[in-house]
Amino acid sequence: MEVKNSRFIIENKRWVFSSLLFSVLILLPVLVLLLNFFNGDQTTLNYLFGTVLFDYSFNTLYLILLTSFTSFVLGVFPAWIISNYDFVGRKFFDIALYLPLAIPSYIMAFTYIDVLNFTGPFQSFLRSYAFLPSDLFNIDYLQIETLGILMGLSLYPYVYTASRVSFSLIGSNYINVSKNLGLSSAQTFFKVILPLSKPAIISGLFLVIMEVLNEYGAVKYFGVNTYTSGIFRSWFSLGDINGAIQLACILIIFVLLLFYIEKKSIKNSQFYYSKNSDVFSGKLKRSNKNILFFLICLIPFLLGFIIPVISITNNVFNNFHETNFTKLFELTRNSIFVSSLSAVIIIIIALFFLFVNRISKIKSLSFINNLISLGYALPGAVIGLGLILLFSSYSLIGTFYVLFYAYIIRFLAVGKSPIKSSIEKQPESFDDTGKNLGLGPFKLLRQIHLPVNKYALVSAFILVFIDVMKELPITLILRPFNFDTLATQTYEFAVEEMLPLSSIYSLIIIVLSSVMLLILKKFVDKQLNVS
Amino acid sequence: MFVASCSSRKESTQEVNLYSQRHYPVDELQYKNFEEITGIKVNVVKANADELIERLKNEGKSSPADLFITVDAGKLYKARESDLLQKVSTEVINENVNQELMDPDGYWTPITYRARILVYSKERVQKSELSTYEDLINQKWKNKLLARSSSNAYNQALMSSLVANLGPESAASWSEGVVSNFARDPKGSDRDQVRAIAAGQGDVAIVNSYYIGILLSSEKEQDVMAGNSVEVFFPNQGDNDRGSHINVSAIGLTKNSPNRENAIRLIEYLTSIEAQKVYVNNSYEYPVNVKVEPAQIVKNWGEFKVDRLNLNKLGEYREEAIKIFDSTGWK
Repeated sequence: MEVKNSRFIIENKRWVFSSLLFSVLILLPVLVLLLNFFNGDQTTLNYLFGTVLFDYSFNTLYLILLTSFTSFVLGVFPAWIISNYDFVGRKFFDIALYLPLAIPSYIMAFTYIDVLNFTGPFQSFLRSYAFLPSDLFNIDYLQIETLGILMGLSLYPYVYTASRVSFSLIGSNYINVSKNLGLSSAQTFFKVILPLSKPAIISGLFLVIMEVLNEYGAVKYFGVNTYTSGIFRSWFSLGDINGAIQLACILIIFVLLLFYIEKKSIKNSQFYYSKNSDVFSGKLKRSNKNILFFLICLIPFLLGFIIPVISITNNVFNNFHETNFTKLFELTRNSIFVSSLSAVIIIIIALFFLFVNRISKIKSLSFINNLISLGYALPGAVIGLGLILLFSSYSLIGTFYVLFYAYIIRFLAVGKSPIKSSIEKQPESFDDTGKNLGLGPFKLLRQIHLPVNKYALVSAFILVFIDVMKELPITLILRPFNFDTLATQTYEFAVEEMLPLSSIYSLIIIVLSSVMLLILKKFVDKQLNVS
Repeated sequence: MFVASCSSRKESTQEVNLYSQRHYPVDELQYKNFEEITGIKVNVVKANADELIERLKNEGKSSPADLFITVDAGKLYKARESDLLQKVSTEVINENVNQELMDPDGYWTPITYRARILVYSKERVQKSELSTYEDLINQKWKNKLLARSSSNAYNQALMSSLVANLGPESAASWSEGVVSNFARDPKGSDRDQVRAIAAGQGDVAIVNSYYIGILLSSEKEQDVMAGNSVEVFFPNQGDNDRGSHINVSAIGLTKNSPNRENAIRLIEYLTSIEAQKVYVNNSYEYPVNVKVEPAQIVKNWGEFKVDRLNLNKLGEYREEAIKIFDSTGWK
């Protein structure tokens, strides 16, 4: 139905224009990097290619593979079981399996090495009982394989969430059909359900991969040099900013490729979720494999949450008398401040972009819309240093403006994704009705899109909140004087090899993020019910 | 604390701004004491030294920073090469600081120093088997050496010192020899190297002196256990030898320091007997003030001969050092 509303069209143009302007602002650091690509000579690049770059790239790909595999195994199988079967502890695990997301990868890495090393509690325990195979576990745990597993433990919830939603939406029609065709449960899962859920799983894995590319603290500790380490090596150690920029550009191209793959896989499969299947019929099957199901769900939760939290809590108690509560309070306040304010700004901007994209229907705008998510893939320190290049001559570095600017560039994609999937589900008739009623874009946004997408907005808020709370390199380099957060304090103690002192700060990060995740789970459920 | 930070904003002249690579609990204590004595508020931004240098460079004249503090003289050399520092010399500082540790060019003032030394397994190694850094490439250490990665600034400084003392070619063949003797790929922290010795994964490790102090003084049983499994060894102590490699944690005054006088007062305070005692007892570093003794744990290791290399060389040869690491496969 074509609606003629001239005011709408004029204002529409203004909105498109301002949305373009915003995109340029957000892409500015990336543009600056790309424009500088041909500035430098080839010396550093040649040097890096000749020595370490192959090794770094191999490590990066291998780590991506290890982490993705772990995340896949730990995320997909529990999601399938919980979506389909009724067993003891099902409801509990449906919430609990999100929780490892509350633990930053670097805390996971430091904590596990503290537990597993020769003098740590695990091996000490084995040694105290002669019949236990203590020698078997006296190995070097600082291996890229261990790192991949540990990062998988803190990142698998991305895959779990995505596949959990997808499995719920697939509905029982497909399953019934495949059963009627004589496929077993396992065959149904591998031959029907997995292919159907491919786009959801890929988008979950996409987030995991971005996090791996961005990881700095844990990889450094494990002595695993990744591609990102190469950027730092060329920029800092060799003092060649142009070499670093060239490397960053190659990374950007790699990420663009991943973007393309992700988008394509989603585009190719949008018809899969049929609306008439009985999604929430509540018909969970009972099975005689209760214990197996319980274990499959227990393992990720136990390894990804319970063990690290116990170890951290134990350290907190042992160092309780050294706790500085004034400081703890101050840092908690700071963390909540940056996390909540940046989350609010980001959801406003994300909603604005997605809304303009929807009402304008310009194809290139939707392309730009995807492009502004690029910041999520850039290492935080590269964004930080890009902004330093841009702003330091205006005395803006060390102000909250630039700090929040950097958070927006980095985490806009995180805030956009739940809002995007929600806004895309709303029928176009909403907009048409609004236009017929003579609503301008602003009223359309406020009176229709704000209320109908409210659950998605809350989800976006929480996701950004948690990410900023865990964020490290940007906060370290761009923060104002005397401004510490829970994350920066945790990291400073941990790298100075004073892990016990860092534990109270990491515990607060974990507690705050866990609470947010529990709320998030509630809203995700509501969102599922609404759709 | 909150009240204090509010009130100081009004009397804006009484403050000093730090860009610091140091982030130990002892530093906060020092700044708090300084504030109480002088009424000058200390503002701090803590980050990686290279990032702070980038920030200083780009801020230029508008930089709020007065002082740049690092844990590596090489980074101060780099800052000075980028024209970010100015010379400082006062009677009080000259009185406080051991002249042998001072920057010959006068651009930075040391506040503590640390030695990059060897630790060895009490069980499997005799002290007499060890002698110098150079001897670590001896065949007898095959599959026995441990060290952290070459991205670590302390290792880069050690390699720079070898380039300066022995020349790039000898340094490169040393690196090659060490790599072929490694028990495992370089990784982890200094503390992890000690743990690996406790676990029997290697026998000799290159570490910073104060980490052993931190381990031994820890309240965690497992840390003390790791610390006790090793003994400290100062290399290159022979009569004609140059001594063990040290590096300083030091302060430079920025070129455009807006609170120059307050900044100099802070340098004077940090090198004073009072403040030096606080350093040695909390972070197990060595004092730069000759009137102050190291902590008891550190004293127990005995005195040692210090490599008197001009520490600016640690910055001058940094790039060379990194290229040696890369070309010889020290990860």
